[in-house]
Amino acid sequence: MIFQKKASHFVIAVLFLVGGLAPFALRQYQVAMLTEIIFFALYAVSYNLLLGYAGLLSFGHAMFFGTGAFTAAVALVCIPGISIWSDIFLAVLMAILVGLVVGSLLLRTKGAYFALLTLAFNSLFYVVATKWSSVTGGDDGLSITRPNISIGSITIQLAGITSFYYFTLVIIGMAIVFCWYFTHTAMGRTVLLIRENEERMNFLGYNTHISRLLLFVFTGAAAGLAGAFYSLHFQFVSISAISVDMTTTVLLMAFVGGTGTFWGPILGTFVYIIVQSYLSDLTDHWPLFMGLIFVFMVLVMPGGLSQIIQKIPGVFSGKSGDEPGDRVVTEETIL
Amino acid sequence: MKKGMWSLGILAIFFVLMSLIVPNAAQSEDTIKLGVTEPLSGTFKDIGTRYLEGVQYAAKVINEGGGLLGEKVQVIPIDSELKPDVATRKAQTVILKDNVKFFCGGTGSSVGEAMSQLAKRQNVIMFTYGMDAASMTGEKCNRNFFRPGGSTDGRSFAIAQMIVKKGFQKIGIIAQDYSFGHEAVDAFKKKLLQLNPKARTVAEIYHPLGTKDFAPYASQLIAAAPDVIFTPNWGNDLTLLLKQGRPMGLKAKVVSYYINDEVMIESLGDDNLILGDMGAEIYMVSIPTKKNEEFVQKFYKDEGHYPTWLRGKSYMAVMFWAEAVKKAGTTDVNKVIKAWEGLTYEGPAGTWTMRACDHQAQVPYWTAEIVKNNPFFKHAFVGPAVEVPAKDVEVPCDQTGCRMGQ
Repeated sequence: MIFQKKASHFVIAVLFLVGGLAPFALRQYQVAMLTEIIFFALYAVSYNLLLGYAGLLSFGHAMFFGTGAFTAAVALVCIPGISIWSDIFLAVLMAILVGLVVGSLLLRTKGAYFALLTLAFNSLFYVVATKWSSVTGGDDGLSITRPNISIGSITIQLAGITSFYYFTLVIIGMAIVFCWYFTHTAMGRTVLLIRENEERMNFLGYNTHISRLLLFVFTGAAAGLAGAFYSLHFQFVSISAISVDMTTTVLLMAFVGGTGTFWGPILGTFVYIIVQSYLSDLTDHWPLFMGLIFVFMVLVMPGGLSQIIQKIPGVFSGKSGDEPGDRVVTEETIL
Repeated sequence: MKKGMWSLGILAIFFVLMSLIVPNAAQSEDTIKLGVTEPLSGTFKDIGTRYLEGVQYAAKVINEGGGLLGEKVQVIPIDSELKPDVATRKAQTVILKDNVKFFCGGTGSSVGEAMSQLAKRQNVIMFTYGMDAASMTGEKCNRNFFRPGGSTDGRSFAIAQMIVKKGFQKIGIIAQDYSFGHEAVDAFKKKLLQLNPKARTVAEIYHPLGTKDFAPYASQLIAAAPDVIFTPNWGNDLTLLLKQGRPMGLKAKVVSYYINDEVMIESLGDDNLILGDMGAEIYMVSIPTKKNEEFVQKFYKDEGHYPTWLRGKSYMAVMFWAEAVKKAGTTDVNKVIKAWEGLTYEGPAGTWTMRACDHQAQVPYWTAEIVKNNPFFKHAFVGPAVEVPAKDVEVPCDQTGCRMGQ
């Protein structure tokens, strides 16, 4: 067990190292794309904590992402001289507040009711963002200028693509590692067990509503952080950030990578953004192809790319690898 | 653990291989690249495609005439999906990937505003021939953004003049609920009250961009019983307003920015829905000048259809930009900006002058009424165009709100 954890830490360190060296090997637009992949990966990971871990199918995750994105942008526009730290903090704080309010209203429902209510709330947030144009810019959106980092007398310019990439890698990378750590805490495991047998957990004395609310707020905060980086990266935010399309996007990312493992959605984000970039260069009808890929994944590989990867060792060792439990997050797969 | 490790391993491989996976775009250094941000999919695809055709035709004319500064003009279509975030994301990619320095577009002022900010950040030039919100060359102006076309101010002023001349008193207004719609209405009301203080607005309705059901809005307009309806609506938002509103009993004549749209008129399927309606534009095929007649004939011969409305506007804007590049003698962005300021272009729609104070071209407008018999189409279309001189609709530099360079 100790060896396994050390190996995980080693792989995380290698990923950070590879990420740190990437700008030396890549062109500027590829670095910009990698930045996008990193914050969308956090968004997908946060979504998977709800879907894969807690078994809560949400169609409203974009309300957190959009809240973070808009809060970061509005704060930069309305509070002159605000530091990037305060800006990000405000975005996460607002996402937490939204998570608390919406979560306390939603989490007593389950299944289809929960899914539909999340959709309804997302639509509500979308309408607010559209109509409250004096603050959000409505259909026109908001253009912002990314502030620099000031630590004491030291100022780090974030206007460049590479410098912002490193900032994203460090902050969002740490947030993803924290999400991974969260799944190993007692709280993370409780959520998993609630999904498996809520009645039993109630019987054992756990307040399952509170546990799910905490997870809902936590995933909302993570999505809000991703949203803040979305605004800072593009230096622009529009109602697309809070639309149901943004939830569909994260659903696709999670499904393509696989909701059965923690790292699947990260892989899904990577593949999704690169494939989308390819397809949109080739054809204006790229959403059609993305839709077909999604249908294919759901019908043929419900476990996503991570399921295929998991089967590779089985193929070499002669085992099928398709065992019960492969398609859901279990204690083994979350590691 | 083993399974998770495999996923991590694959992730690492992806990182390493990324530079190999994503192909480098074909670098053709001997061309001047012009990115065109238009909606090439979705509800407004038709609008974007026609604008793009005009740009492509202009590039063809330039290239056939020996190119620009000895180089071919290469048009790079960018599907904005009419979303500012999508347009800027794709534009940023081609700036970084293909070193594109010039962009243009005509659809969606929201896209234009975002592109204008991107142009400023990346020091490239964005110009528009159809994103008309006055604020883009007003309080939101910047030195990297040019408008060789009309604005909501000019258009609304021309229409207000027409309405006052016709003696209409009770005005109904319907517009799309975003900056362009609001600015168009504000400018119209301002000019209308200046010209006729007794005129009354009996309805002022805003609806979402891309509305499908106009019944509730048509009902409100009918109930208000206006003498005439002013709308800056474009594309499907104009088609559906007429198609759904007329059968419901919307009798008042419509005065619109974009009435001279043959696709819209044809899609109505019934000329009676639009006969007698009026519009004001910076380009109409029925402009009675020799230059325009020659242009229309050549375009028709080359392309097999008329350079109506959008095609004509984007064609002229690109030709104007080409003149600026020629004058600069280089594709250096700063030098092209300087060269374009104050430059005059004699085109099919009259004399255009790019004002240095706000980068808004001073252009004449053309008004016309929809008539049954016309030399261009079997269905109804615009009759002979009448000029409203640029001076009559000019907004003085000190009233635009533009503080260039500040």
